Amino acid sequence: MNTAPITSWEGAEAYFTFADKPALLVALTLVGIGVCVWTIASMAIHENKAYKDM
Amino acid sequence: MEQSVPELMARLDSLEASLSMATTINSEVFYWWCTALMLAIHAGFLAYEMGASRAKNALASGMKNLIAFAFLIPAFYYIGWWIYLAFPTGFTISDGSEAGLPWSEYMGPNLTDNASGIFYAAFTLFAATTASIMSGSVIERIRISGFTILALFLGAVVWVFGASWGWHPDGWLTTEWGLHDVGAAGAVHTIAGFFTLGVLINLGPRIGRFNADGTVNNIDGHNMPMSLIGLMLIVMGFFGFLGGCIIYTGDTWMTIYNTPATLSAFAFNTLMGVAGGMIGAYLVTRDPFWMMSGALIGVISSAPALDLYYPGLAFLISFGGGCVMPKLNDILVEKFKIDDAVGAVAVHGFGGVWGLVMAGIFASGYQNVAGPEISFVGQLSSAVVFMILGFAPGYVLSLVLKVVGLLRVSENAELAGLDKAEVPVSAYPESSVPAAFTNDPTSPTPAE
Repeated sequence: MNTAPITSWEGAEAYFTFADKPALLVALTLVGIGVCVWTIASMAIHENKAYKDM
Repeated sequence: MEQSVPELMARLDSLEASLSMATTINSEVFYWWCTALMLAIHAGFLAYEMGASRAKNALASGMKNLIAFAFLIPAFYYIGWWIYLAFPTGFTISDGSEAGLPWSEYMGPNLTDNASGIFYAAFTLFAATTASIMSGSVIERIRISGFTILALFLGAVVWVFGASWGWHPDGWLTTEWGLHDVGAAGAVHTIAGFFTLGVLINLGPRIGRFNADGTVNNIDGHNMPMSLIGLMLIVMGFFGFLGGCIIYTGDTWMTIYNTPATLSAFAFNTLMGVAGGMIGAYLVTRDPFWMMSGALIGVISSAPALDLYYPGLAFLISFGGGCVMPKLNDILVEKFKIDDAVGAVAVHGFGGVWGLVMAGIFASGYQNVAGPEISFVGQLSSAVVFMILGFAPGYVLSLVLKVVGLLRVSENAELAGLDKAEVPVSAYPESSVPAAFTNDPTSPTPAE
Protein backbone atom coordinates (compact mmCIF):
# COMPACT_ATOMS: atom_id res chain seq x y z
CA MET A 1 0.00 0.00 0.00
CA ASN A 2 1.50 3.34 -1.00
CA THR A 3 0.51 5.77 1.74
CA ALA A 4 2.92 8.57 0.78
CA PRO A 5 1.36 11.83 -0.39
CA ILE A 6 4.64 12.96 -1.94
CA THR A 7 6.79 11.67 -4.77
CA SER A 8 9.82 13.80 -3.91
CA TRP A 9 11.15 15.62 -0.84
CA GLU A 10 11.74 18.67 -3.02
CA GLY A 11 9.17 21.29 -1.96
CA ALA A 12 7.36 18.84 0.29
CA GLU A 13 4.92 20.30 2.83
CA ALA A 14 2.44 18.00 4.64
CA TYR A 15 4.03 14.60 4.16
CA PHE A 16 2.28 12.40 6.70
CA THR A 17 0.55 9.22 5.66
CA PHE A 18 -2.65 9.87 3.66
CA ALA A 19 -2.14 13.68 3.79
CA ASP A 20 -3.50 13.86 0.23
CA LYS A 21 -6.67 11.91 1.09
CA PRO A 22 -8.76 14.09 3.41
CA ALA A 23 -11.77 11.76 3.27
CA LEU A 24 -9.61 8.99 4.64
CA LEU A 25 -8.32 11.29 7.40
CA VAL A 26 -11.93 12.04 8.37
CA ALA A 27 -12.64 8.31 8.43
CA LEU A 28 -9.60 7.65 10.63
CA THR A 29 -10.76 10.41 12.97
CA LEU A 30 -14.21 8.86 13.25
CA VAL A 31 -12.72 5.42 13.92
CA GLY A 32 -10.48 6.92 16.62
CA ILE A 33 -13.44 8.61 18.28
CA GLY A 34 -15.33 5.33 18.00
CA VAL A 35 -12.55 3.46 19.78
CA CYS A 36 -12.67 5.94 22.65
CA VAL A 37 -16.47 5.78 22.95
CA TRP A 38 -16.42 1.97 22.77
CA THR A 39 -13.79 1.78 25.52
CA ILE A 40 -15.80 4.06 27.80
CA ALA A 41 -18.90 1.95 27.18
CA SER A 42 -16.90 -1.17 28.00
CA MET A 43 -15.71 0.56 31.18
CA ALA A 44 -19.29 1.15 32.27
CA ILE A 45 -20.26 -2.45 31.52
CA HIS A 46 -17.26 -3.69 33.53
CA GLU A 47 -18.30 -1.51 36.47
CA ASN A 48 -21.92 -2.66 36.36
CA LYS A 49 -20.82 -6.28 36.41
CA ALA A 50 -18.31 -5.64 39.20
CA TYR A 51 -20.91 -3.98 41.41
CA LYS A 52 -23.39 -6.79 40.78
CA ASP A 53 -20.76 -9.34 41.83
CA MET A 54 -20.04 -7.58 45.13
CA MET B 1 35.38 43.59 -5.35
CA GLU B 2 32.41 43.54 -7.74
CA GLN B 3 32.60 39.78 -7.91
CA SER B 4 32.62 39.44 -4.16
CA VAL B 5 29.40 41.39 -3.56
CA PRO B 6 27.10 38.63 -4.84
CA GLU B 7 29.09 36.14 -2.85
CA LEU B 8 28.71 38.24 0.29
CA MET B 9 25.00 38.64 -0.36
CA ALA B 10 24.61 34.89 -0.80
CA ARG B 11 26.51 34.31 2.40
CA LEU B 12 24.35 36.85 4.23
CA ASP B 13 21.21 35.14 2.95
CA SER B 14 22.57 31.83 4.12
CA LEU B 15 23.36 33.24 7.58
CA GLU B 16 19.90 34.78 7.85
CA ALA B 17 18.31 31.47 6.88
CA SER B 18 20.44 29.66 9.46
CA LEU B 19 19.52 32.18 12.13
CA SER B 20 15.83 31.88 11.29
CA MET B 21 16.04 28.09 11.43
CA ALA B 22 17.93 28.24 14.75
CA THR B 23 15.15 30.44 16.16
CA THR B 24 12.51 28.00 14.95
CA ILE B 25 14.34 25.03 16.40
CA ASN B 26 14.95 26.83 19.70
CA SER B 27 11.25 27.51 19.93
CA GLU B 28 10.39 23.87 19.24
CA VAL B 29 12.94 22.68 21.77
CA PHE B 30 11.69 25.09 24.43
CA TYR B 31 8.07 23.92 24.21
CA TRP B 32 9.12 20.27 23.85
CA TRP B 33 10.81 20.45 27.25
CA CYS B 34 8.00 22.49 28.80
CA THR B 35 5.66 19.69 27.72
CA ALA B 36 7.98 17.06 29.17
CA LEU B 37 8.20 18.96 32.45
CA MET B 38 4.41 19.21 32.60
CA LEU B 39 4.28 15.43 32.77
CA ALA B 40 5.55 15.86 36.32
CA ILE B 41 2.18 17.44 37.12
CA HIS B 42 0.52 14.15 36.25
CA ALA B 43 3.03 12.07 38.15
CA GLY B 44 2.25 14.38 41.04
CA PHE B 45 -1.52 14.11 40.75
CA LEU B 46 -1.15 10.35 40.54
CA ALA B 47 0.92 10.13 43.72
CA TYR B 48 -1.02 12.62 45.78
CA GLU B 49 -4.45 11.26 44.95
CA MET B 50 -3.41 7.68 45.61
CA GLY B 51 -1.89 8.79 48.90
CA ALA B 52 -5.04 10.75 49.79
CA SER B 53 -7.18 7.64 49.24
CA ARG B 54 -7.65 4.89 51.75
CA ALA B 55 -5.64 1.76 50.89
CA LYS B 56 -8.80 0.03 49.70
CA ASN B 57 -9.22 2.67 46.97
CA ALA B 58 -5.60 3.49 46.11
CA LEU B 59 -5.41 1.84 42.70
CA ALA B 60 -8.88 2.90 41.59
CA SER B 61 -7.90 6.50 42.33
CA GLY B 62 -4.69 6.10 40.37
CA MET B 63 -6.46 4.36 37.50
CA LYS B 64 -8.76 7.34 37.23
CA ASN B 65 -5.79 9.66 36.71
CA LEU B 66 -4.18 7.42 34.13
CA ILE B 67 -7.40 7.03 32.17
CA ALA B 68 -8.10 10.75 32.14
CA PHE B 69 -4.59 11.45 30.88
CA ALA B 70 -4.76 8.81 28.15
CA PHE B 71 -8.18 9.87 26.87
CA LEU B 72 -7.46 13.59 26.97
CA ILE B 73 -4.64 13.35 24.44
CA PRO B 74 -6.75 12.12 21.50
CA ALA B 75 -9.77 14.15 22.63
CA PHE B 76 -7.77 17.36 22.51
CA TYR B 77 -6.45 16.34 19.08
CA TYR B 78 -9.92 15.55 17.75
CA ILE B 79 -11.72 18.63 19.03
CA GLY B 80 -9.93 20.69 21.68
CA TRP B 81 -7.31 22.40 19.55
CA TRP B 82 -9.93 23.39 16.99
CA ILE B 83 -12.16 24.89 19.69
CA TYR B 84 -9.25 26.99 20.94
CA LEU B 85 -8.61 28.38 17.48
CA ALA B 86 -12.27 28.76 16.55
CA PHE B 87 -13.95 30.68 19.38
CA PRO B 88 -11.92 33.68 20.63
CA THR B 89 -14.81 36.00 19.80
CA GLY B 90 -17.47 34.01 21.66
CA PHE B 91 -19.54 31.37 19.89
CA THR B 92 -18.81 32.43 16.30
CA ILE B 93 -16.32 30.30 14.39
CA SER B 94 -13.25 32.33 13.43
CA ASP B 95 -11.61 32.27 10.01
CA GLY B 96 -8.53 30.08 9.85
CA SER B 97 -9.64 27.76 12.64
CA GLU B 98 -9.93 24.90 10.14
CA ALA B 99 -6.15 24.56 10.60
CA GLY B 100 -6.98 22.90 13.92
CA LEU B 101 -9.33 20.27 12.52
CA PRO B 102 -7.89 16.77 12.84
CA TRP B 103 -7.82 16.26 9.07
CA SER B 104 -6.01 19.55 8.43
CA GLU B 105 -2.62 19.48 6.71
CA TYR B 106 -1.20 21.20 9.81
CA MET B 107 -2.27 18.47 12.24
CA GLY B 108 0.55 16.12 11.33
CA PRO B 109 4.13 16.12 10.07
CA ASN B 110 4.55 19.14 7.80
CA LEU B 111 7.89 20.58 6.72
CA THR B 112 6.49 24.11 6.54
CA ASP B 113 4.95 24.10 10.02
CA ASN B 114 7.17 23.85 13.08
CA ALA B 115 4.57 25.30 15.44
CA SER B 116 1.26 23.43 15.35
CA GLY B 117 2.48 20.14 16.80
CA ILE B 118 4.47 21.62 19.61
CA PHE B 119 1.68 24.02 20.64
CA TYR B 120 -0.89 21.23 20.37
CA ALA B 121 1.31 19.19 22.72
CA ALA B 122 1.68 21.97 25.29
CA PHE B 123 -2.05 22.75 25.21
CA THR B 124 -2.87 19.05 25.53
CA LEU B 125 -0.90 18.96 28.76
CA PHE B 126 -2.74 22.09 29.94
CA ALA B 127 -5.98 20.27 29.13
CA ALA B 128 -4.96 17.15 31.01
CA THR B 129 -3.99 19.30 33.98
CA THR B 130 -7.41 20.93 33.96
CA ALA B 131 -9.13 17.55 34.03
CA SER B 132 -6.82 16.28 36.76
CA ILE B 133 -7.78 19.18 39.02
CA MET B 134 -11.24 17.63 39.33
CA SER B 135 -9.85 14.16 39.82
CA GLY B 136 -8.72 14.39 43.44
CA SER B 137 -11.92 15.91 44.76
CA VAL B 138 -14.12 13.01 43.69
CA ILE B 139 -12.00 10.06 44.80
CA GLU B 140 -13.39 6.99 46.53
CA ARG B 141 -16.95 7.12 45.21
CA ILE B 142 -17.10 8.22 41.56
CA ARG B 143 -17.49 5.70 38.76
CA ILE B 144 -14.47 5.67 36.46
CA SER B 145 -16.72 5.73 33.39
CA GLY B 146 -18.63 8.76 34.66
CA PHE B 147 -15.40 10.46 35.65
CA THR B 148 -13.89 9.85 32.22
CA ILE B 149 -16.87 11.46 30.50
CA LEU B 150 -16.67 14.46 32.84
CA ALA B 151 -12.90 14.75 32.41
CA LEU B 152 -13.21 14.66 28.63
CA PHE B 153 -15.88 17.33 28.63
CA LEU B 154 -13.91 19.55 31.01
CA GLY B 155 -10.51 19.03 29.42
CA ALA B 156 -11.36 18.94 25.73
CA VAL B 157 -14.33 21.33 25.58
CA VAL B 158 -15.20 23.50 28.59
CA TRP B 159 -11.85 24.96 29.62
CA VAL B 160 -10.89 25.35 25.96
CA PHE B 161 -13.71 27.85 25.51
CA GLY B 162 -12.38 29.73 28.54
CA ALA B 163 -8.87 29.67 27.09
CA SER B 164 -10.09 30.84 23.72
CA TRP B 165 -12.03 33.68 25.34
CA GLY B 166 -9.48 34.81 27.87
CA TRP B 167 -6.10 33.20 27.24
CA HIS B 168 -5.66 34.06 23.58
CA PRO B 169 -4.38 37.26 21.96
CA ASP B 170 -7.78 37.83 20.32
CA GLY B 171 -9.96 36.48 23.15
CA TRP B 172 -12.97 38.69 23.76
CA LEU B 173 -12.40 38.91 27.51
CA THR B 174 -9.13 40.67 26.73
CA THR B 175 -10.17 42.71 23.71
CA GLU B 176 -13.43 43.86 25.37
CA TRP B 177 -12.66 43.89 29.11
CA GLY B 178 -8.87 44.01 29.27
CA LEU B 179 -8.45 40.66 31.05
CA HIS B 180 -4.85 39.86 31.97
CA ASP B 181 -4.27 36.25 33.04
CA VAL B 182 -0.88 35.22 31.71
CA GLY B 183 -0.60 32.10 33.89
CA ALA B 184 -4.15 30.87 33.20
CA ALA B 185 -5.44 31.18 36.76
CA GLY B 186 -8.92 31.77 35.36
CA ALA B 187 -8.93 29.70 32.18
CA VAL B 188 -7.51 26.62 33.85
CA HIS B 189 -7.91 26.82 37.62
CA THR B 190 -11.14 28.75 38.14
CA ILE B 191 -12.96 26.82 35.45
CA ALA B 192 -11.73 23.46 36.72
CA GLY B 193 -12.46 24.34 40.35
CA PHE B 194 -16.03 25.45 39.69
CA PHE B 195 -16.70 22.57 37.32
CA THR B 196 -15.62 20.34 40.20
CA LEU B 197 -17.99 22.11 42.58
CA GLY B 198 -20.89 21.40 40.23
CA VAL B 199 -19.92 17.73 40.09
CA LEU B 200 -19.48 17.41 43.86
CA ILE B 201 -22.99 18.72 44.50
CA ASN B 202 -24.48 15.88 42.46
CA LEU B 203 -21.95 13.26 43.51
CA GLY B 204 -22.46 13.70 47.25
CA PRO B 205 -20.06 12.93 50.09
CA ARG B 206 -18.25 9.68 50.77
CA ILE B 207 -20.07 7.33 53.13
CA GLY B 208 -18.98 8.25 56.63
CA ARG B 209 -17.84 11.79 55.87
CA PHE B 210 -20.71 13.41 57.75
CA ASN B 211 -22.65 12.24 60.77
CA ALA B 212 -26.42 12.45 61.06
CA ASP B 213 -26.08 15.55 63.23
CA GLY B 214 -24.01 17.24 60.51
CA THR B 215 -20.65 16.95 62.24
CA VAL B 216 -17.68 16.09 60.07
CA ASN B 217 -15.42 13.02 60.21
CA ASN B 218 -11.91 13.19 58.80
CA ILE B 219 -11.20 10.43 56.31
CA ASP B 220 -7.44 10.20 56.21
CA GLY B 221 -5.62 8.89 53.18
CA HIS B 222 -3.36 5.90 53.62
CA ASN B 223 -0.07 7.55 52.64
CA MET B 224 0.48 11.20 53.48
CA PRO B 225 4.19 11.15 52.56
CA MET B 226 3.27 10.00 49.04
CA SER B 227 0.74 12.82 48.81
CA LEU B 228 3.33 15.39 49.86
CA ILE B 229 5.84 14.18 47.28
CA GLY B 230 3.07 14.23 44.68
CA LEU B 231 2.24 17.82 45.49
CA MET B 232 5.91 18.79 45.19
CA LEU B 233 5.98 17.10 41.78
CA ILE B 234 3.01 19.20 40.73
CA VAL B 235 4.85 22.34 41.80
CA MET B 236 7.84 21.23 39.75
CA GLY B 237 5.62 20.56 36.75
CA PHE B 238 4.19 24.04 37.04
CA PHE B 239 7.51 25.43 35.91
CA GLY B 240 6.85 23.64 32.63
CA PHE B 241 3.25 24.81 32.64
CA LEU B 242 4.17 28.46 33.21
CA GLY B 243 7.08 28.26 30.79
CA GLY B 244 4.55 27.10 28.21
CA CYS B 245 2.48 30.22 28.94
CA ILE B 246 5.10 32.58 27.49
CA ILE B 247 5.74 32.98 23.77
CA TYR B 248 9.28 32.58 22.46
CA THR B 249 9.92 34.74 19.40
CA GLY B 250 13.65 34.30 18.97
CA ASP B 251 14.76 37.77 19.96
CA THR B 252 12.37 38.35 22.84
CA TRP B 253 9.60 36.82 24.96
CA MET B 254 5.96 37.80 24.87
CA THR B 255 2.93 36.97 26.98
CA ILE B 256 0.06 35.20 25.32
CA TYR B 257 -1.47 38.67 24.90
CA ASN B 258 1.57 39.84 22.84
CA THR B 259 2.83 42.17 25.56
CA PRO B 260 6.60 42.06 26.11
CA ALA B 261 7.89 39.99 29.02
CA THR B 262 10.88 38.05 30.24
CA LEU B 263 11.23 34.53 31.50
CA SER B 264 13.08 36.08 34.42
CA ALA B 265 9.89 37.84 35.46
CA PHE B 266 8.11 34.48 35.57
CA ALA B 267 10.99 32.97 37.55
CA PHE B 268 10.95 35.74 40.18
CA ASN B 269 7.24 35.64 40.76
CA THR B 270 6.59 31.92 40.46
CA LEU B 271 9.12 31.16 43.18
CA MET B 272 7.97 34.00 45.42
CA GLY B 273 4.39 32.87 44.88
CA VAL B 274 5.18 29.28 45.83
CA ALA B 275 6.86 30.43 49.02
CA GLY B 276 4.10 32.87 49.95
CA GLY B 277 1.39 30.27 49.54
CA MET B 278 3.27 27.66 51.55
CA ILE B 279 3.95 30.02 54.43
CA GLY B 280 0.39 31.34 54.49
CA ALA B 281 -1.12 27.85 54.51
CA TYR B 282 1.28 26.74 57.23
CA LEU B 283 0.35 29.72 59.36
CA VAL B 284 -3.35 28.90 59.37
CA THR B 285 -3.29 25.08 59.33
CA ARG B 286 0.08 23.65 60.57
CA ASP B 287 -0.80 20.84 58.16
CA PRO B 288 1.85 19.64 55.67
CA PHE B 289 -0.82 18.61 53.15
CA TRP B 290 -2.23 22.13 53.18
CA MET B 291 1.24 23.60 53.20
CA MET B 292 1.97 21.89 49.89
CA SER B 293 -1.48 22.74 48.58
CA GLY B 294 -0.53 26.26 49.65
CA ALA B 295 2.34 26.11 47.17
CA LEU B 296 -0.23 25.57 44.41
CA ILE B 297 -2.41 28.33 45.83
CA GLY B 298 0.64 30.58 45.77
CA VAL B 299 1.35 29.90 42.10
CA ILE B 300 -2.30 30.40 41.17
CA SER B 301 -2.61 33.58 43.23
CA SER B 302 0.22 35.28 41.37
CA ALA B 303 -0.35 33.61 38.00
CA PRO B 304 -2.48 36.30 36.29
CA ALA B 305 0.26 38.95 36.50
CA LEU B 306 3.47 36.94 36.78
CA ASP B 307 4.91 39.23 34.14
CA LEU B 308 4.12 42.43 36.01
CA TYR B 309 4.39 42.01 39.77
CA TYR B 310 7.19 43.19 41.98
CA PRO B 311 8.29 39.86 43.52
CA GLY B 312 7.73 41.13 47.04
CA LEU B 313 4.15 41.90 46.10
CA ALA B 314 3.68 38.46 44.52
CA PHE B 315 4.90 36.94 47.77
CA LEU B 316 2.31 38.84 49.81
CA ILE B 317 -0.56 38.18 47.40
CA SER B 318 0.25 34.48 47.48
CA PHE B 319 0.66 34.56 51.25
CA GLY B 320 -2.84 35.99 51.45
CA GLY B 321 -4.14 33.26 49.18
CA GLY B 322 -2.42 30.65 51.30
CA CYS B 323 -4.13 32.01 54.41
CA VAL B 324 -7.61 32.36 52.92
CA MET B 325 -8.13 29.23 50.79
CA PRO B 326 -7.86 26.62 53.59
CA LYS B 327 -10.52 28.57 55.49
CA LEU B 328 -12.79 28.66 52.46
CA ASN B 329 -12.36 24.90 52.18
CA ASP B 330 -13.44 24.57 55.83
CA ILE B 331 -16.57 26.56 55.06
CA LEU B 332 -17.36 24.36 52.06
CA VAL B 333 -17.00 21.23 54.15
CA GLU B 334 -18.53 22.29 57.46
CA LYS B 335 -21.27 24.66 56.35
CA PHE B 336 -22.19 23.42 52.87
CA LYS B 337 -21.33 19.71 53.42
CA ILE B 338 -19.28 19.55 50.22
CA ASP B 339 -16.94 16.57 50.51
CA ASP B 340 -13.98 17.79 48.49
CA ALA B 341 -11.39 15.11 49.33
CA VAL B 342 -8.37 17.26 48.47
CA GLY B 343 -9.69 20.82 48.67
CA ALA B 344 -9.45 21.44 44.91
CA VAL B 345 -12.46 23.76 44.77
CA ALA B 346 -10.81 26.13 47.24
CA VAL B 347 -7.25 25.73 45.92
CA HIS B 348 -8.04 26.05 42.23
CA GLY B 349 -11.53 27.53 42.00
CA PHE B 350 -11.36 30.23 44.65
CA GLY B 351 -7.59 30.50 44.29
CA GLY B 352 -8.04 31.41 40.63
CA VAL B 353 -10.63 34.03 41.48
CA TRP B 354 -8.35 35.45 44.15
CA GLY B 355 -5.50 35.71 41.63
CA LEU B 356 -7.65 37.42 39.01
CA VAL B 357 -9.05 39.94 41.48
CA MET B 358 -5.64 40.69 42.97
CA ALA B 359 -4.35 41.45 39.47
CA GLY B 360 -7.31 43.81 39.08
CA ILE B 361 -6.23 45.65 42.21
CA PHE B 362 -2.45 45.61 41.93
CA ALA B 363 -1.84 45.49 38.17
CA SER B 364 -4.56 47.85 37.01
CA GLY B 365 -3.51 50.52 34.56
CA TYR B 366 -1.11 48.40 32.56
CA GLN B 367 -1.78 48.62 28.82
CA ASN B 368 -2.89 45.66 26.73
CA VAL B 369 -1.90 45.38 23.08
CA ALA B 370 -5.52 44.67 22.12
CA GLY B 371 -8.32 46.03 24.24
CA PRO B 372 -8.56 48.30 27.27
CA GLU B 373 -6.03 48.47 30.08
CA ILE B 374 -6.12 46.06 33.01
CA SER B 375 -8.80 47.07 35.51
CA PHE B 376 -10.48 45.74 38.63
CA VAL B 377 -13.87 45.59 36.93
CA GLY B 378 -12.46 43.76 33.91
CA GLN B 379 -10.71 41.19 36.07
CA LEU B 380 -13.70 40.65 38.36
CA SER B 381 -16.15 40.37 35.48
CA SER B 382 -13.89 37.88 33.73
CA ALA B 383 -13.64 35.85 36.94
CA VAL B 384 -17.44 35.64 37.04
CA VAL B 385 -17.48 34.42 33.43
CA PHE B 386 -14.95 31.71 34.28
CA MET B 387 -16.93 30.66 37.37
CA ILE B 388 -20.15 30.28 35.40
CA LEU B 389 -18.40 28.64 32.46
CA GLY B 390 -17.00 26.04 34.85
CA PHE B 391 -19.89 25.49 37.22
CA ALA B 392 -22.87 25.27 34.84
CA PRO B 393 -21.57 22.48 32.55
CA GLY B 394 -20.14 20.56 35.50
CA TYR B 395 -23.43 20.66 37.35
CA VAL B 396 -25.62 19.82 34.35
CA LEU B 397 -23.49 17.00 32.95
CA SER B 398 -22.99 15.36 36.34
CA LEU B 399 -26.72 15.60 36.96
CA VAL B 400 -27.37 13.79 33.67
CA LEU B 401 -24.84 11.11 34.61
CA LYS B 402 -26.48 10.78 38.01
CA VAL B 403 -29.91 10.30 36.45
CA VAL B 404 -28.64 7.55 34.16
CA GLY B 405 -26.69 5.86 36.98
CA LEU B 406 -23.19 6.53 35.70
CA LEU B 407 -21.99 8.94 38.37
CA ARG B 408 -21.58 7.07 41.64
CA VAL B 409 -20.41 3.57 42.55
CA SER B 410 -22.71 1.18 44.39
CA GLU B 411 -22.81 1.35 48.18
CA ASN B 412 -21.42 -2.19 48.48
CA ALA B 413 -18.47 -1.36 46.29
CA GLU B 414 -17.78 1.86 48.19
CA LEU B 415 -17.77 0.05 51.53
CA ALA B 416 -15.67 -2.86 50.33
CA GLY B 417 -13.28 -0.64 48.42
CA LEU B 418 -13.11 0.22 44.75
CA ASP B 419 -9.89 -1.72 44.20
CA LYS B 420 -11.58 -4.94 45.21
CA ALA B 421 -14.59 -4.17 43.06
CA GLU B 422 -12.98 -2.88 39.87
CA VAL B 423 -9.23 -3.44 39.72
CA PRO B 424 -7.76 -6.84 38.86
CA VAL B 425 -4.55 -6.32 40.86
CA SER B 426 -3.71 -5.34 44.45
CA ALA B 427 -1.95 -2.20 45.62
CA TYR B 428 -0.12 -3.81 48.50
CA PRO B 429 0.59 -7.31 49.79
CA GLU B 430 -1.84 -8.13 52.59
CA SER B 431 0.98 -8.28 55.11
CA SER B 432 1.89 -4.65 54.55
CA VAL B 433 -1.59 -3.21 54.99
CA PRO B 434 -2.37 -1.96 58.48
CA ALA B 435 -5.52 -3.44 59.98
CA ALA B 436 -7.29 -0.11 59.91
CA PHE B 437 -6.99 -0.03 56.12
CA THR B 438 -8.01 -3.54 55.21
CA ASN B 439 -10.84 -4.20 52.81
CA ASP B 440 -12.77 -5.70 55.67
CA PRO B 441 -16.04 -3.77 55.92
CA THR B 442 -16.23 -4.65 59.61
CA SER B 443 -13.51 -2.07 60.26
CA PRO B 444 -15.11 0.96 58.68
CA THR B 445 -14.28 4.60 59.07
CA PRO B 446 -16.47 6.58 61.50
CA ALA B 447 -20.18 6.63 60.72
CA GLU B 448 -19.94 4.01 57.98
